[in-house]
Amino acid sequence: MKLNTGNLKGNIKFQSFIILSVILFIYKVFVYSSGSWIHFLINGVLSALTIISLIIYLIEFSHSRKINPLALVINVGVLNAVLFFMFTYSDSILSSLLNINTGKINQGIFDNIISFFYSFIILVSVSVIFMVFRELYFLKQKKNVSLYFNTMIVFFILASFGALLIDVPDLHYIRDTFFIISVLLIIINSLKISWIAFIVKKEKISLLALSIVISILFIANLISSSSNKLSERVVVQFSPILNQFLKLIMTYGIIYFGILFFTTLFHIPTAEAFDRKAQEVSFLQYFSKLISQSMDFKELADSLTEISAKVCNANAAWLVLKDGEEFKAMANKDIGYYDSNLLTKFIFEMKHPKTDEQTFFLNLNRFNDRPQLSDNFVHVAASPLKSHNELKGYLVAVKKNDFIFDDEDKDAMTTFSDYASLAIENSRLLEESIEKERMEKELDVAREIQRKILPSKDPQLEKLQISSVFIPAFEVGGDYYDFFKLEPDKFGFVIADVSGKGISAAFIMAEIKGIFESLSKTMESPRNILIKANEILERTLDRKNFVSAAYGLIDLKSDTLSIARAGHCPVLLIRNNAAQQIRPSGIGLGLDYSSNFINSLDEEIIKLEDNDIFVLYTDGITEAKNSDLEDFGTKNFENVLLENSEKGVDEIANSVMKNIALFSQNNSQHDDITLVILKWKQKLKNNGVKNGRIQHLS
Amino acid sequence: MAEFSTSVKTAGEVNIIYLKGYLDAHTAPVLENTFSNLIDKGDYSLVVNFKDLNYISSAGLGVFMAFIEKIRDNKGDIKLSSMSDKVFNIFDLLGFPLLYEIFKTEDEAINKFKEIKKLEDQ
Repeated sequence: MKLNTGNLKGNIKFQSFIILSVILFIYKVFVYSSGSWIHFLINGVLSALTIISLIIYLIEFSHSRKINPLALVINVGVLNAVLFFMFTYSDSILSSLLNINTGKINQGIFDNIISFFYSFIILVSVSVIFMVFRELYFLKQKKNVSLYFNTMIVFFILASFGALLIDVPDLHYIRDTFFIISVLLIIINSLKISWIAFIVKKEKISLLALSIVISILFIANLISSSSNKLSERVVVQFSPILNQFLKLIMTYGIIYFGILFFTTLFHIPTAEAFDRKAQEVSFLQYFSKLISQSMDFKELADSLTEISAKVCNANAAWLVLKDGEEFKAMANKDIGYYDSNLLTKFIFEMKHPKTDEQTFFLNLNRFNDRPQLSDNFVHVAASPLKSHNELKGYLVAVKKNDFIFDDEDKDAMTTFSDYASLAIENSRLLEESIEKERMEKELDVAREIQRKILPSKDPQLEKLQISSVFIPAFEVGGDYYDFFKLEPDKFGFVIADVSGKGISAAFIMAEIKGIFESLSKTMESPRNILIKANEILERTLDRKNFVSAAYGLIDLKSDTLSIARAGHCPVLLIRNNAAQQIRPSGIGLGLDYSSNFINSLDEEIIKLEDNDIFVLYTDGITEAKNSDLEDFGTKNFENVLLENSEKGVDEIANSVMKNIALFSQNNSQHDDITLVILKWKQKLKNNGVKNGRIQHLS
Repeated sequence: MAEFSTSVKTAGEVNIIYLKGYLDAHTAPVLENTFSNLIDKGDYSLVVNFKDLNYISSAGLGVFMAFIEKIRDNKGDIKLSSMSDKVFNIFDLLGFPLLYEIFKTEDEAINKFKEIKKLEDQ
């Protein structure tokens, strides 16, 4: 929409310019006659309006384009050259085309047409040049400076209209005064050429050449346009206003390009420094983009060293990453790895630079291995890379021969090393998140293994009620329990806790399951099973891993429980409203493979009584923590069991879990929780009614 | 996050390792490092002081197992001292008192080393 209205506006402006030009043409060719005041005035106004409408159109036109100052300057140069040729050859061409009588131009239609077009070309050229000056004036202006320029335009108009007083010599001073004021304003406005600071050195040099040529052209054009040649007479006859405007613009050109020439000349020595700063800024922008977009640290490091070398004018650069106490070179730019490693070793491992220093310089004159280097590197600049205040490495640049690093280089190095630090930090975060994801996947696998290893449901026995609860921790803890129905009237159970967490614990757990599964079928004595299990584990278990386990065997015929314990939590026996710990001595599996293990391992045999409750658990229960990091503890555990001992096994288990949940509600679960409750029902057959009633009540 | 740290004090031939905070699967590598560094230096007579240790998990216990063999092969030992009842109970359950000498105080542990040294010298 906006674009359309812009086009429409442009069209209207262009149309009004065309209409005015046509009216001017008709008027000049067919109506105008010299000597009449009215005609003279109308002619002046018409020509002025044409110029103004053209300029207004051109301003509109130029808004829609991207401005390159050098292109604008070249435009001025080309138009000036056109004017220069027109003025130079006007005498010969015009005199052959026009009939000239006694110095006065004849006013035939053909003559009128010729002089109209001649003047019109000048009109357009001058207007375009003016427009270009306007563009250059507003280029890179930070403040609103249109006041000066508009004032100048007002005086241009006044001076131009003053030219209408050509026939009244007494009033020439008015025209001249306006002209002089215009020139003063031109000088003031010509000083606004800040845009040259923003072009690169190469462009500045071409600008220098262009501005001297163009200012000479302007001088030539001004001279020939005010030397009373035939050309000037044609233009004056066309309109004194155009002639005056032409002179003003030529003067503007001389002053503007004169000032431009000298300013550019003085800018050239600092152009390089300016270019460097500008380059640095654009590189930094490039980096911010790269850091936020790129995942690859190596790619970033390569760009960093490349650009650091460029900005510091160094011959080579590389990154040094700290790996423990060692320093490793990477992302080498213009230096071989042999050289960079040699230098890195010397700078950081032999000299041990202070890390609190920011960027530091070093001279390689005292480096003994310098002859081994392929290049004559002498000066080193290094900037530490830090992440979370920890030294991660250095950005290093070297220069050959007698070129030294200066403070500018120091600043640049510091800036770029900051970016490198950021990149390192970014890549570290990325790696961390990948690692985290990997770990979560691993834990999923571990949980899946665990889920498949543990019994899917509790076995049903005549004389034994069984209830088990297992709640895995986020990081799989390695808890294991299992039941074995053995022929003929034997029932085995095991509970174990593998040290450590995660997938390694899950694998050991799987192994443990295999061991107990097979041993339970071939041996009966819990003590012997644990001894054998320890023997088998010696072949596979890591030195720092171990397994606590308890194995029990119930003889359903003789109503006895034999139990052995290898470092596991004691089995709790709730009998007659009292809790006792069944804790035969024994070392954890995998802790000791000597006779020590066998000698210390005891087996306890318990005669079962009706309503005996045996509670197997892992330390996930007693070590469940509340928000103050206090343990749930054995005492609490026993109390809950005692309070609920009359109830069925499922209810007892539920009460325990409820109490633990209540206790640790503000804290996460650190370890797997396993709870197995066995309740002996000796008189089940004889006393089914009583039991039935209890079940009914519950 | 539960914190854990160690510090080492040298008393003649014996090095005392002080444990502080929560020793579990996440903080175990800290203690592993401490042991490794001492062993690398050839220090095999070690007393571990548990006075400021709040908690030890199975992974924490595993650290002691990981190094004990090498230390005993070099005629050294790890002796444990100053455990709280809670920490001792965890060691006790697993049968550690059968594998390690556990002392009430750090000095008793150090003296034990000295006695052995004396015997060897004779």
